[in-house]
Amino acid sequence: MSNYVEMWKNLGMDLESHDLLCQVLPTAVGDVFLTQENRPKCMDFWDTVIAEVHGIRPAELIEAQKEGRKVFGTFCVYVPDEVVIACNGIVTGLCGGSQFWVPGGEAVLPKATCPLVKASVGARLGRTCPFFRIADMYVGETTCDAKKKAYEILGKDVPMYVMDVPQMKREKDILKWKDEIAAFAKKVEEFTGNTLTAEKLAEAIKTVNEKRKALARVYNCRKSECLPISGRDALLMMQIAFFDDPARCAQMCNRLADELEQRIKDGVSVAPAGAKRILVTGTPLAVPNWKLHNIIETSGGVVVCEEMCTGTRYFENLVDESKTTLDEQFMALSQRYMKNNCACFTPNEGRIEDILRLVKEYKADGVIDCSLKFCCLYDVEKYSVSNVLKDAGVPVLSLETDYEDADSEQLRTRIGAFIEMIDD
Amino acid sequence: MTEESQNIRYYVLFANYEHGLAAHGILDAAGIENRIAPAPRAIQGELTCGMSLLLRPEHAEAAKACLDAQGAAYHAILPLADQLRARRDKYC
Repeated sequence: MSNYVEMWKNLGMDLESHDLLCQVLPTAVGDVFLTQENRPKCMDFWDTVIAEVHGIRPAELIEAQKEGRKVFGTFCVYVPDEVVIACNGIVTGLCGGSQFWVPGGEAVLPKATCPLVKASVGARLGRTCPFFRIADMYVGETTCDAKKKAYEILGKDVPMYVMDVPQMKREKDILKWKDEIAAFAKKVEEFTGNTLTAEKLAEAIKTVNEKRKALARVYNCRKSECLPISGRDALLMMQIAFFDDPARCAQMCNRLADELEQRIKDGVSVAPAGAKRILVTGTPLAVPNWKLHNIIETSGGVVVCEEMCTGTRYFENLVDESKTTLDEQFMALSQRYMKNNCACFTPNEGRIEDILRLVKEYKADGVIDCSLKFCCLYDVEKYSVSNVLKDAGVPVLSLETDYEDADSEQLRTRIGAFIEMIDD
Repeated sequence: MTEESQNIRYYVLFANYEHGLAAHGILDAAGIENRIAPAPRAIQGELTCGMSLLLRPEHAEAAKACLDAQGAAYHAILPLADQLRARRDKYC
C-alpha cells in the first residue's frame, strides 16, 4: 500500500504544507544522487527509502504501535538505543536537516539558533514530518543550550524525557552517565510496560553492535585508494541508519559492504582521476542536508570520511558484550557512549586525536571543518582543530553554513579554491 | 533542441512501491538501465507513491515494451526536462 494520504491525515499532519516539501525533495535527490555515474547497485535500497521517506518506515512504525510497541524519537548519538530496544521499543532519529522546517522553528525560537534545532522544532510544530508525529516520546539530552531550551518547548507538545549528559570525561562523569542510563531504563520500562532484563539488554547490545560493525565495514571500504562509493552515497546510508530497523540496517550495510569490497578487488572507483580526498568534520548532517557533500564532490573533491555524529561517532567503539548483570551492562554502555567526542565536552582533545587518526586511516588530502551557524561549541573548536592540523601539515578549511541555498556559490568558491591549492 | 540537450528523462510512475520494485526487478533482469528515484511532484498527479523509475530517453521505449510484455503494473511513463543538475544548488 502506498496511498499514504490517509496515514498522514490520521497523524494530524498539515497536508497542504507537507505537499510543498514533497515538491522540493525529488529535485534535490535527482541533483545530488542521480547525477552520479557508476553508483553501487546496492544503493537501490537507500534510493527506495529516500523516495518513500515519509511512507514506508512511518507505516512500519504505525503497525508496530498497533501491536503495543512504543516509538522513541531521539536527537543525539549519546542516547543508548540498546535500552529502548531491550524493552521492545523502537528508536527513530528526529533531527531536522531541511530549510523547509526552519521558519516554523523561528516562530518560537530566536533566529540566532542553529538550523538543526530550529528545523527539528519546526518539523514538530508545523506538522509536516510523520516521524515527529509518530514518536510516542522524545528523548533529549543536554548537549547544547539551544537543544535544552528547545526541549522545554517541545515538551509542552509531546512527552519528553531529557538525559543529563556530563560536560567532562572524568571517572565520576562516566559513573554519572551510567546512573543517567539506569534512570532512563526505568523510564523506558514504565513507558513501555516491559521489564528490562540482563538477557534482553545483552541481546539488544549485540543487535546494535552488529549494526555498528556493518556501518564500519562500509566505512573501511572508503579507506581504499580505489574509492568504491561517493561521500554522498555513504552519507545517505548513514543518515537513514538513524531511522531504520537496526537488524535490517546491518543486513543492508553488510550487503553494500560486500559489493564495495568486490569493487575494490575489481578496481572500480567512483572518484574522477585527481580528485582530492576530503575528510569532513564538524556538526551533524541530518537528512536531507546534502549541501556540503554535493558541493565538495562537484568541485574536484571526494568525501572519504565524516568525523561527526552522522559519521564515525555513530559506529566506532562497540559496547562490551561480556557483562551479565544490568549494573555491569549500564557501565559498559556508559563507557562506550562516553568515548564519543562531542564538542559539548571540555576538554575535548579526543576529537582532535580522532581527526588526526582518521586523516591517516582514510588517506585524506585535506580536512573541511564545517559547523552549522550559531553552533558556538563547534565554532570555537575550529581554532584548536585548525592549529593542530596545520602543525601536522594537513590542509584545513574552516567553514560555517546553514540549510539555506543562498551561500552555495560562496561555498563553491571557497571549497573549489581549497581543493585546488591542495598539493598533489 | 534534442531531448539530451533539454536533459529530458522519463519517469515510470506507480500506484505503490511494491509495483515499483517489481518493475525495477523486471527491467534489471532485461538489462534495461533504470534507477529508483523520487517521483517528481510535477507529474505525480494524485498518486502518493513516492517511488518512480528513472529512464534515459533512449531506454524509454524498450522499458515500456518490456514492462507491457511482462504484464507489470505501472501508472504511466512520462517525460520531464531539467530534473538532474548536479550544480543547481537547490537543496531542501
